[in-house]
Amino acid sequence: MSIFDGFKFRSESSPIHEMDPRAKFIYVCILFSSAIIFNNIIPLLILFLIQMPIVFLAKVQREWLRSMKASALFATLIFAMNFISLYFYAGHETLCSITERSAAMTIRFLVLIQTFSIFFLTTSPDMLGLALEQSGIPYEICFAFTTAVRFVPVLAEEAQTIIDAQRARGLELESGNIIKRIRNYIPILIPLIVNAIRRSMELAETMESRAWGAVKNRTNLYALRIKGRDILLIVSSLIILIISVYTSIYIRVPSITQMMHC
Amino acid sequence: MGLAIIEAKDLTYTYPTGDRPAFKDVNLKIDDGEFIIITGPSGCGKTTLCRCFNGLIPHFYGGRLEGEIRVCGLDVKENPIHMIARHVGMVFQNPENQLFALSVEKDVAFGLENLGVPREEIRRRVDWALKITGVYDLRHRAPHELSGGQQQRVAIASVLAMNPEVIVLDEPTSFIDPLGAEQIFQVINSLNRDLGITIILVEHRLDLISKYADRMIVMNEGRIILNGDPREVLTSEEARLIGVGIPKATLLYKALKAKGINLNGPPLSSDEAYKLIAEAMSK
Ligand SMILES: Nc1ncnc2c1ncn2[C@@H]1O[C@H](COP(=O)(O)OP(=O)(O)OP(=O)(O)O)[C@@H](O)[C@H]1O
Ligand SMILES: [Mg+2]
Repeated sequence: MSIFDGFKFRSESSPIHEMDPRAKFIYVCILFSSAIIFNNIIPLLILFLIQMPIVFLAKVQREWLRSMKASALFATLIFAMNFISLYFYAGHETLCSITERSAAMTIRFLVLIQTFSIFFLTTSPDMLGLALEQSGIPYEICFAFTTAVRFVPVLAEEAQTIIDAQRARGLELESGNIIKRIRNYIPILIPLIVNAIRRSMELAETMESRAWGAVKNRTNLYALRIKGRDILLIVSSLIILIISVYTSIYIRVPSITQMMHC
Repeated sequence: MGLAIIEAKDLTYTYPTGDRPAFKDVNLKIDDGEFIIITGPSGCGKTTLCRCFNGLIPHFYGGRLEGEIRVCGLDVKENPIHMIARHVGMVFQNPENQLFALSVEKDVAFGLENLGVPREEIRRRVDWALKITGVYDLRHRAPHELSGGQQQRVAIASVLAMNPEVIVLDEPTSFIDPLGAEQIFQVINSLNRDLGITIILVEHRLDLISKYADRMIVMNEGRIILNGDPREVLTSEEARLIGVGIPKATLLYKALKAKGINLNGPPLSSDEAYKLIAEAMSK
């Protein structure tokens, strides 16, 4: 299992998958900002929990769980760092309050991961490319982006094949000092690069054969259109943003420690 | 006989890095609606010749192209690849490197998008091409999740959607298992028979496909040495000497003939051989 599995798009039909990537992007930005605005545990927990229905609606709970597991180590690290620094520098705080503040920072991190993960799990790179295109980014760049995404798994597989083949011929990857180790990778990199160049030549040939660059204004099979549910998402995100900003300015949200007089 | 759709006169080509021509003095006339198989030993210049049919040579590869070649009324040397691509579709050997979108239907739409075809028209032609090649049900899948045979049929759909008069296929089945190859050959045959598309197929496996061809061209060392009816070409002495992959049915015919048993004409497939043998035995 790799860390990236928690972010890798998997084709699935759900209302969230069908949403306009631009609407989802606005949602991501707003949740990000809201998570940054607060450093109090209760609103951060709320931000975390209100995203759960979306996870289930998108049917990506397994992948979501995976992304959470993958971030567990990092989350622990954030907790420990905060805890230690608060313990030494914020002298007069109780242990409870230090724990709570460290937990809040950890949850903030998880909210960011979760938002990211929802976005990438439910947005096909094709749609992302389309969104880039319709935002006025030159087609060549969008094409490079989607093609790169398309070939990542292919190249990863190829790299593994080459590693296995070179290992079978006695190549040791995990031995020697750092320079030796880097040098060990040369017999893997060279075939990989040569293959990639050959592949890109063939791709270029195919593109040429399919009338690449024939007209200035190329058309697109898909068109992004903002639908009712996209507006709903944008509006709810905006409401979240307004509430967040309002709360952080005018309301002092109590911490759990204060509420329990711990 | 239809009209000449491809015509080459004294065509000679040398790659920029080559010290001698990859093919030399090729004269060729292909008629509209023909099904042509090009075969010959490795390195004899089949792929290189195919690259001239849509202008990859000389526009993509550079090098020196001498002589004349016209495709669908267009002078290949004078017209850019994207002009010729409207008339000639190319399917390459490796299915993996011909699909670059993240979904099958997006790939099939790629050529039409490049041509600036309106969206509704793209949708219509993509669906049509996917249905003809039998991959309509896979249209939302990612290309790298498909089998080689399925990928190659998607590649065929991608050029078919552009509505070409000619489709050139360069060893489309060499990475594919026998069953997948059979399905691809059936698709190719139906493109020729039902849609009247001119087919130029480079192939080594002649057992399954020879029976569909109108004409067979054998190349050797950069020259066309045989060009004619598949039955004549495959029973010729030259074909045997060069090591053309002659179908087993045809070999059987020749072996029987050598023993004095004459079947009624050379068969190109086991079905045909079966019929001829049954016929001969019932006499
Ligand atoms: N891109 C290239 N640059 C330089 N020389 C090339 C290139 N491609 C092919 N050649 C040379 O041109 C000659 C003909 O090659 P070509 O690929 O056309 O043969 P082929 O009949 O398709 O063989 P195969 O059956 O192996 O595919 C060969 O001598 C080859 O080395
Ligand atoms: Mg070849």
